[in-house]
Amino acid sequence: MVCAWLNKRCEPATQVDGGAMVSYVSESTPAPTTAPALTLDYALLGQWIGFADVQRHTMDVLRVEIERTSTLVEDSTLDLSRRFQDLAISAREQSEHVNLIVGMARFIEIDGNKVPLDELVNSMQTIINEMISNIINLSKNAMTMVYLLDDVQKDVGDLEKYISDIDAINRQTNFLALNATIEANRAGDAGRTFAVVASEVRNLSKNTGDLATRMRSKVTAVVKGVRDGHAILREIANTDMSPQMLAKDQVDKTMECLVNQTNHFQTVLEGTSASSEEMAGVISRMVTGMQFQDLAKQRLEHVADSMTIVTAGLEDLVSRTRATIPEGVDVPFPQEWLDGLLSRFTLSDMRQRFVRRLLMEGTALDEHGILDTVHEESQDGGGDVELF
Amino acid sequence: MDYTIATKDHEAQVLMTGRLTFNDHAKLRALIKEMLQNASKRQVLDLSALEFVDSAGIGMLLIAREELSNLDKQFVLRKATGQVKRVLTVAQLGKLITIED
Repeated sequence: MVCAWLNKRCEPATQVDGGAMVSYVSESTPAPTTAPALTLDYALLGQWIGFADVQRHTMDVLRVEIERTSTLVEDSTLDLSRRFQDLAISAREQSEHVNLIVGMARFIEIDGNKVPLDELVNSMQTIINEMISNIINLSKNAMTMVYLLDDVQKDVGDLEKYISDIDAINRQTNFLALNATIEANRAGDAGRTFAVVASEVRNLSKNTGDLATRMRSKVTAVVKGVRDGHAILREIANTDMSPQMLAKDQVDKTMECLVNQTNHFQTVLEGTSASSEEMAGVISRMVTGMQFQDLAKQRLEHVADSMTIVTAGLEDLVSRTRATIPEGVDVPFPQEWLDGLLSRFTLSDMRQRFVRRLLMEGTALDEHGILDTVHEESQDGGGDVELF
Repeated sequence: MDYTIATKDHEAQVLMTGRLTFNDHAKLRALIKEMLQNASKRQVLDLSALEFVDSAGIGMLLIAREELSNLDKQFVLRKATGQVKRVLTVAQLGKLITIED
């Protein structure tokens, strides 16, 4: 039969019911005179035609399945490519956003000005150092004042004592003047002039006493002022500022942690940005890699084309064989073979398409080999091979 | 606060103990007077046994330094520990007074 397929013709020489003797005849080469006699088995030919018919349809269905699969792969691949491209764009956007954050991490915005973090830390440390320096100067000046007021207080105490001394002297002067007056009166006329002097001394003593009293009053006021001032100053000097000074340690540590943490964030974010960029690159390469689908499609097209040619050849051979055998020769349906084939179709939709194709010679299928709706509705049980 | 003075190797060594606060201002004034009258050119304040100093104490140490400096005497703070050392460091007293470990 293979020779006939290759544009050779097998013609029956004689015909016998159920079986025949044929002589081999070729179109291109004359039959050799010594050609062996060939017995033509019509039953076998009928069986072959039935088998070849189903095979032809099978081939056709498989070709459609290949084309269908190729289209499915193409659609899915294009869809995947688009999604991957979107993913690559997202990854690049993410990288840009992260870079933006990295750029901002080193700065802090104060009143609309972008101040570098390290500059801010330095400026705060300068402020704190100045503050501590002021505290120390204040403490030193306060203590100097305390020592000065200690001295003043001592001096004022001396002053009070001196006024008391003046009072004592004055009392004695007054007493002496009084005695002098008595003695002058006792002396009579001779003592009159002396009595005037003694009286003047008493007046002087009284004036001195008055002055001492006024001085004591003022000195008392000064002493009170100095003591009050001293007490306030002691209170000021006694306010311990060392905890505030030591707070610098905590501020420095906090600042250092802040800077370290920011640097850490920056490093992590830079890593994230690099990862996103790398991810975008990998995804782009994946999209490029998915061009394998083009190659697969071309190969499948070649396979489908070859199957078309094989099917056409088979169809031609079947029709020529059919024309050769007499009417009434049984063309049995290869049910057993078909059952064996169908049992391998585990995908139900593919199985249904195959059955439909065999049943209706493909009339229920569109150009993609897919069942149309009308036939789909009437195809209940279409997958049941028992329909044959 | 209490103190003792010993003269060793041409320097007066003052060992200060306890807590130096505002309440010790009279005592510190007496110490300054002693240091001024002392013949040694180098007056060393040993702070190893001093537990605490307040801001008034720092002010008094600066007064001492100033008074000694007026008489061309060197004032040195030595072996500060704990809170005292931290306060001296934070106050950057090393810029004004010689500080030794």
